Amino acid sequence: MPDDAATFRMLISQFTDFLTVAIHTVLYERNIYPQTSFLSARKYNFAVRQSRHPKVCEWINDAVAAVETELLKGNVERVAVVVYNKGLKPTERFLFDVSRFPPVSFTDVDTPLERKDSGGKIVPILPLIDIEEQFRATMSKLANCGTVLKPAPVGGTFTVAIELKGDGQAPISHPQPWMPVEPILDKDTANMSQKRAHPIRAVAAGDLIFESWIEEAREAD
Amino acid sequence: MAQDYTEWLAINVLNEQQLISYRSLSRALKVHSNLAKQMLYDFHHKQNAKKPGSVHATYLITGTKIKEAPLANGGHSQHDGEDTVMQSSPPLPSSSAPQTEEQHHEPIEVRTVMLAKEEHLENAKASFESVTGIHIYSLQAKGLSDVRVLTECNRKIAADYASEDPLEAWKQYGTIQNSNVKRRTQRRQPPPPPAATAGATKAKVATTTKPAPLDKQASKESQELKPASRPTLAKATPEPSKKPATTKRQNSDIFKSFAKGKTKEQEQESQSSAEPSPKPPAEDEPMADFSNEESGEDVDEADAMETVVKGPEGKSKEKREADLQAMMDQEDEMMDDAAEAAPEVDQDEGAIDKPDSQTAEEPKETVEVENGRRRGRRRVMKKKNFKDEDGYLVTKEEAAWESFSEDEPPAKKIKGPSVTTMQQPKQVAGGKKAGKPGQGNIMSFFGKK
Repeated sequence: MPDDAATFRMLISQFTDFLTVAIHTVLYERNIYPQTSFLSARKYNFAVRQSRHPKVCEWINDAVAAVETELLKGNVERVAVVVYNKGLKPTERFLFDVSRFPPVSFTDVDTPLERKDSGGKIVPILPLIDIEEQFRATMSKLANCGTVLKPAPVGGTFTVAIELKGDGQAPISHPQPWMPVEPILDKDTANMSQKRAHPIRAVAAGDLIFESWIEEAREAD
Repeated sequence: MAQDYTEWLAINVLNEQQLISYRSLSRALKVHSNLAKQMLYDFHHKQNAKKPGSVHATYLITGTKIKEAPLANGGHSQHDGEDTVMQSSPPLPSSSAPQTEEQHHEPIEVRTVMLAKEEHLENAKASFESVTGIHIYSLQAKGLSDVRVLTECNRKIAADYASEDPLEAWKQYGTIQNSNVKRRTQRRQPPPPPAATAGATKAKVATTTKPAPLDKQASKESQELKPASRPTLAKATPEPSKKPATTKRQNSDIFKSFAKGKTKEQEQESQSSAEPSPKPPAEDEPMADFSNEESGEDVDEADAMETVVKGPEGKSKEKREADLQAMMDQEDEMMDDAAEAAPEVDQDEGAIDKPDSQTAEEPKETVEVENGRRRGRRRVMKKKNFKDEDGYLVTKEEAAWESFSEDEPPAKKIKGPSVTTMQQPKQVAGGKKAGKPGQGNIMSFFGKK
């Protein structure tokens, strides 16, 4: 695909594809759904797991579509996949910091993007090979996260959350895809000591720049 | 070397937390695979002695599994008399590679290769009746959640070490090698002088008679033919100028070998030329060693090649049929040619019609030109009447040829195989009449075909 045809929408769609696969992987690794309900698939030339249950897939696709809408508006700072235990306390969070996506106004989502470096040379916006390799590395790390974290909570559940940028507009519309919740007190130092962060990977391919890590609540269930 | 591997493994397994299989280790340190397996074992042993649980291993067990009763797999008892049931292995969490056991009534030895995580090693070993081999497959720092992730190791090897020639490196790494495997020579090289080309065509004939998996070879062989026809095409090819001379001679040799009633080759020839479009993409993979230019050329030239191949073949068939009548007393091979060449080349033309349709113009023109030259050459080898036929070409023969070649592609566009059979008698008839020297009048009789 010629880089001069790269639009913001394409960039976001690359990220959302990745996000879908990541969510399926998290579900598999953390035993949210029985591991036998996943089939082996291949993405980015890598063996990944995909849930077979149609409702699960539908939910994930809807959630990712909603994230995409917000990303296109450029409002999102972070995307989180939160895993809860039976008591609905979050045990861990898989975070993707997307605040470094290029700020493109909503009217320009389909405009071809171009970036020139300091020397005036054209720099590719979406180098597909790089993207694939980096996504593959991230998936590899994600897939092995189960060994790093504490054993997965039994009977747990999960959800997808987004944290908006400070000046962004809340996604209130009808029908409303997002539920507003109290801000997660990440900045609160008191809570910080009770969390552990495991870095996954920072992906930087062209303009697709995001970081990923896992925050684990340190306290036992 | 002894210290290197410890360091290397320490860096990669512990610090970078990568998955290291014995194959990656052998490629990275350029050692034999068996030595790499021993290194893995040694490292695993030492590290776990220092700090238990720091390094996890995945084992590869080969052997014969204990035959299980049909009901062992969660109630999947599907014996239906003669039906063989493919059952997956019992839900051992360690076995990742899908195991299939055929449950026959007769005992059949099934050798199983199983990947087992170290925590499941004992269970896995217990499920084996006899273990023929066991070694460490990979090491990882924290343990493996999904064994399928190990495929990444192999992919990385293929990507990183693609530049190494497997035929040379196999001794070093200990890959299993078939001693009969030979690297195929570049087929795009201009064929050496005629003596060698005769040998080449015979070799080609020999190879094309091999069974199906060598279809690709056949197509490659046909593309050796195609270089012959290439110079006559308008397509730009970086071929040396001597090629036209040698390739035409090669072509005559080729048709000579066709004349020897080698139907198999003709069929493969037609098959291969019939399927060059699916072939080149398929060829691209096995021919990884060949330059991109070649595979690119395959795809580009394939269509053009077919048309030209079809062209001369069509004419040659007609000419042969012509000669058949006129020169019955000559070599028997010609008769074989007429009979066998006709249906095959018809199918050939029918099958490759679609790409031909666009380049339909070229065969009309090139065939005439080439016929003059090629035919002349071919016939020079056998019969020298061709010049006379050229005379016919000038008068009416030419027209007959033209119309003939025009008729074929458009007719076959519409109805492929059905038309070919109809055309057969037409061609035979036209050919027969064309062959007789000094009978331009008769040709005019058939000229309106």
